[in-house]
Amino acid sequence: MNTLLAAQWTLLVGAAACLLPMRNAWRAALGLASQAGAMLLVLSVALPVVLGGPPLQGELAWAEPVGLLKVRLDALGAFFLVWSLPMTLLGSVYAVGYLRRHFDTERHVGVHYALLNMTALSFVMVYSADHALVFLLGWEIAALAAWLLVIWDYADQKVRFAGFNYLVSTHVGLIFLVAAFMILYTHSASWELGSFGTWLRANPGSERNLVFLLLLTSFGLKSAFFPFHSWLPRAHAAAPAHVSALMSGVIHKAGLYALVRFVLLIGRPDEWMGWFLIGFSLLSAVIGALYTVGQRDLKRLLGYSSTENVGIAGLGLGVGCLGLAWGNSSLVVVGFAGGLLHVLNHAFFKCQLFYAAGAVYQAAHTVDMERLGGLSRRMPWTAASFLLGGVAISALPPLNSFTSEFVIYSGLFNGQAIGPWAQVALAFAAAGLAFVGAVSALSITRAFGVVFLGSPRDAAVETPHEVSRWMLAPTLLHAAGVVVLGVAPVLGLMLVEGSARLALAAMPGADAAAAAAPLHALGDTLSRIGLLSGALTAAIALMWWLRSRRSAAPAPRHVTWGCGYTAPNRRMQYTGSSFAWDFGRRFQGVLLMLRRQKAPEGYFPAYGYLITHCPDAVERRLFAVIKHGDESAAELSRHLREDDPRVAFGAALVAVVLIAALVVLGTGALR
Amino acid sequence: MNTALTALHMAITLVMPFLMVGLVNRSKAWWGGRKGPPLAQSYWDLLRLLRKQPVLSEVSTPLFRAGAWVVLGASLLAAQIAPLLGPLAPLQFAHDFVVFAYTLGLARLFLMLSAMDVGSSFEGMGTAREASFTAFVEPALFLLVGTALVGTGQTSLAGLIGQWHLSPAFVWLAAPAVGVLFVLLQAEAARVPVDDPATHLELTMVHEVMVLDHSGPELAAMQYAAAIKMTLYAGLIAALLNPFELATQPALAVIAALVIMVAVALVVGCVESLTARLRLRHVPPYLALASLVAALGLGAAGWLAGAA
Repeated sequence: MNTLLAAQWTLLVGAAACLLPMRNAWRAALGLASQAGAMLLVLSVALPVVLGGPPLQGELAWAEPVGLLKVRLDALGAFFLVWSLPMTLLGSVYAVGYLRRHFDTERHVGVHYALLNMTALSFVMVYSADHALVFLLGWEIAALAAWLLVIWDYADQKVRFAGFNYLVSTHVGLIFLVAAFMILYTHSASWELGSFGTWLRANPGSERNLVFLLLLTSFGLKSAFFPFHSWLPRAHAAAPAHVSALMSGVIHKAGLYALVRFVLLIGRPDEWMGWFLIGFSLLSAVIGALYTVGQRDLKRLLGYSSTENVGIAGLGLGVGCLGLAWGNSSLVVVGFAGGLLHVLNHAFFKCQLFYAAGAVYQAAHTVDMERLGGLSRRMPWTAASFLLGGVAISALPPLNSFTSEFVIYSGLFNGQAIGPWAQVALAFAAAGLAFVGAVSALSITRAFGVVFLGSPRDAAVETPHEVSRWMLAPTLLHAAGVVVLGVAPVLGLMLVEGSARLALAAMPGADAAAAAAPLHALGDTLSRIGLLSGALTAAIALMWWLRSRRSAAPAPRHVTWGCGYTAPNRRMQYTGSSFAWDFGRRFQGVLLMLRRQKAPEGYFPAYGYLITHCPDAVERRLFAVIKHGDESAAELSRHLREDDPRVAFGAALVAVVLIAALVVLGTGALR
Repeated sequence: MNTALTALHMAITLVMPFLMVGLVNRSKAWWGGRKGPPLAQSYWDLLRLLRKQPVLSEVSTPLFRAGAWVVLGASLLAAQIAPLLGPLAPLQFAHDFVVFAYTLGLARLFLMLSAMDVGSSFEGMGTAREASFTAFVEPALFLLVGTALVGTGQTSLAGLIGQWHLSPAFVWLAAPAVGVLFVLLQAEAARVPVDDPATHLELTMVHEVMVLDHSGPELAAMQYAAAIKMTLYAGLIAALLNPFELATQPALAVIAALVIMVAVALVVGCVESLTARLRLRHVPPYLALASLVAALGLGAAGWLAGAA
C-alpha cells in the first residue's frame, strides 16, 4: 500500500520536475528517471501478487463525502500493472528518439514527459482502485493525458480535429460509466466496488441488465469496439507514434480490464450477457479486420487492427462469461485466460508495429503506403520488426498471438457438457475468427509488401535511412517479447493464472480442488504449443542452413520477369489500393471504397488520375446524422405535415396509450 | 503397430505428393489423347531443380529465398497433423486442427510475401487474389470441424475426421463434407476451377504467377509444398471415407486410403480436363458456396444432435 502511494508520488513529483529544468534533455531525463523509479516500486509489490501472492489491501482516510479510500491490488489488477508500466517506460524511451529534433528548439518537451508520467499514474490508480471515485479519477486522468499527448502537432488543424474527436468520444463514454455508477451507488449506498458486487450478485433482473449494457458501452468506447471506434483511426493517425502505440496497446486496455472486473463482480452473469459479449466482440473483430484492408495510411491501418484485436480478446472473455453462467470451470479458465493472454500479446506486437511505423514516418516523412516501397533494404531492422509484428498480428505460429488465439479456439470448440446448439453457435463464432485471421493476413501482406518490399514508388519521398537506437531499442525489446511469448507461452500463463483463479473463485459454489484441473490442462496445452512452435522454427532454420551451405557463391541477379514487357517502371508496381480493391468491393455494404477518377481518353491522352480512399462508414453516418438529421426521419417528416391536426391528435393518442401501457406493466396490475 | 503406421504416414507425406501430381497430369493427358509424362516426372524435376543455380531478381531481399523454406517447413509440419490413413496422425492433440490451419496460413503468408518481394505488378495481382480467395474459404474448414465436433465430441483432427463415421448423423453429412474438402483442395492446391496451373498467360494465374521469379532449389521447395498441400486434403478425404478400421484391419485400411487418394487425384485430373477455370470474379462466390454448404452442414448437425 505504502509502496503504491510512494510510486504515485514519484510519478507526480517527476511530472512536476520535468517542467522545471532549462534544457529539454534534462526534462526528458527527469521524466524517464521518475518513471523508471515508480515502475520498480510498483513491480516490487505487483509481481508477487501476480505470481500467486495474497492481494494487497490498504485504506486511506479522506474527507466526506469521499470517505475511506480503499486500495486493493489483486491478481487481475497486478497483471495489467506488470506490463503497462514497463511498456509506458519503453514508449517514453522511444519518444526521446522520436522527438529528438525538437530537443534543440524552443519547444518544451517536458510537458510531453509530464503527460507520459500522468498516464503511468492513471494505470496505478485505475488498476488498484477499490473505490469508484478513485477509479473515475484515474479513468479521467488517462483520457485527458491521452488527448493532450495526441495533439502534440497542434499546429495542424487535422490533428486538433482528431484530438477533439477523441476527447468528445471518451467523455461520452464517461457519461455512460457515471450513469452505471450512479445506479450502483443508489442501491449499495457505498463507493466500494466490493459492495457494488454484493448488490450485483444478489439482484439479477432488468436493472442489472441495464447496468451491464451501460458499462459495456462505456468500456466499448474506451477500447474502441465497433461501432464505438470512429474516433480511433483519426487519433492514431494524428498522434506521435509512441502515443499511438501506448493508446492502442496499453491505455485502452483499461476498458477490457474494467469489463473483466465487473463481470467478476457480477459473479454469475446471465447467459445472454455471454452471448451478447461474444456477438459484440465478433462484430468488432470482423469489421475491424475488414477496415484494415482498405487503409492507405499505415497508422490508420494499425488503428483499425486494434478494434479487431480487442474483439478477439472480447471473444475469449465472452466464452469465460458463458462459463460463469453455466458453472463450467473449464470454460471459465480457458475463456478468461485466453482473453487476457491476448490482451498481453496484443500489447506486445501492436506497440512494436506502431514503433516500426513511426520509424518509417521519421525516415520518409510519410506513412502513405502508395508513396513508399522497398524500405527493407534501407531500414533492415525496422523492416524485420514490422515483419515479426505482422506474423504475430495474423496470429500465425510461432509467435505469441497464435498461442492466445489457440486458447480462445479451444474454448470455442469445447466439446463437453454444453448443448448441441451452443456448440453450433460457438463453432460459427470460431469460423468468424478464422475469417478474421485470413483477412488480417491479407492486410499485413499488403502493408508489408507494399511499404517494405519491391522498389521505392515515389521519387519525391526522401531516401530513408535506419532510425536512431533510441527508437530501435524499444522496438526490438517488444519483438523479443513477441518471440519469447510465442515459444514459451507458459510465461504468459504464469501472469494470467492468478486472474483465472480469481474468475474461478467468483464462480458460485466453486471448490479449489476441481478448479486446478482445467488450469493444469491449459498449462499442458500451452507448453505443447510452445514446443511445437520451437520445433517449427528449428526445422525451418535447419533447412535454411542446409540450403546456404550448399551454395557458397552469391546467386546471379537479373531484372524481375516483366512478362515480356521491356520498359517497366516503378510506378507500375502493384499498389495497396489495387491489392485491396478486388477483396474490398465484395464488402461494399460495410466497407466504403471510394474512388474518383478521370480516365485517359482518345488516342493521345493528356491527363488522367485515380484517387482512392476508404473513409469510416460509422463516422460518415454520424456526421451525416448530425448535419442533416436521420434520413429516414427526414423522409417521414416530409410526408407528415405538422400543421395537419390529424397527425398531432394521432401522435398524442399513441403517446397516451404507450404511457398507460407502461404504467400498467410497471405496477404489475395485470399480474 | 502405431510406430509402423506413423512411419508409414510420414513416408506417404513425403512420396505421395509426386505421385499425386503425376496422376493428375496422366489423367489430363489421357483426356487429351496424349501419352503423358512418366508418373515420377515431378520427382525428376525436383532433383533437376535442386542442382540448379538460382537467378534472383535485382530488387529481392533475403526474405525472397528464406520464404520458400518457411513454406516447405510449415507444409511438412501440417502434413504430420492431418490424418491420412484413418484416425491417426504422428502429431495428435486436442485442438490440433487450429495448428493445422494456421501453419498452412504461415506457409501462405510467406508465399505471398516472397511474391511481393520482387516488385512485379503481375505477382502483386496473384498475391491479392490468393489472399482474398483464402479469406472466403478459410471459414469452411472451421465450420467442417465444428460439424464433426457436434457429431463425435472429439477434439483432435485425426479423431474428428477419422471417427466421424461412427456418429449416426454421418450418413447425411458425409457427402457435403467431402464436397467441402474437395473445394478446399482445389483452393489450397490451386487447381481448376479456382486456378489453372497450366495457363500460359501471367495475367490470369494465381499460384503460378506468385512463383514466377523463383528458380532452382527455391522453386523446387515451392512446388513440392504445393503438392504436399494437395496430398493433405486428399488424405483428409481418404481418412473420412475409409471403410476399414485402422486398429483392427491395418493392411486393408492402408490400401483403401491409398486407393481413395489415387481416386481423388484422378477426379482432380478429370475436373481439370472437362471444365475451364472460372472467371476470376466468380471464384470468390464459388469458394463462399463451400463455406455456405459447411455452415448448412453445421446447422443440420446441430438439428440432428438436438433431435437425437
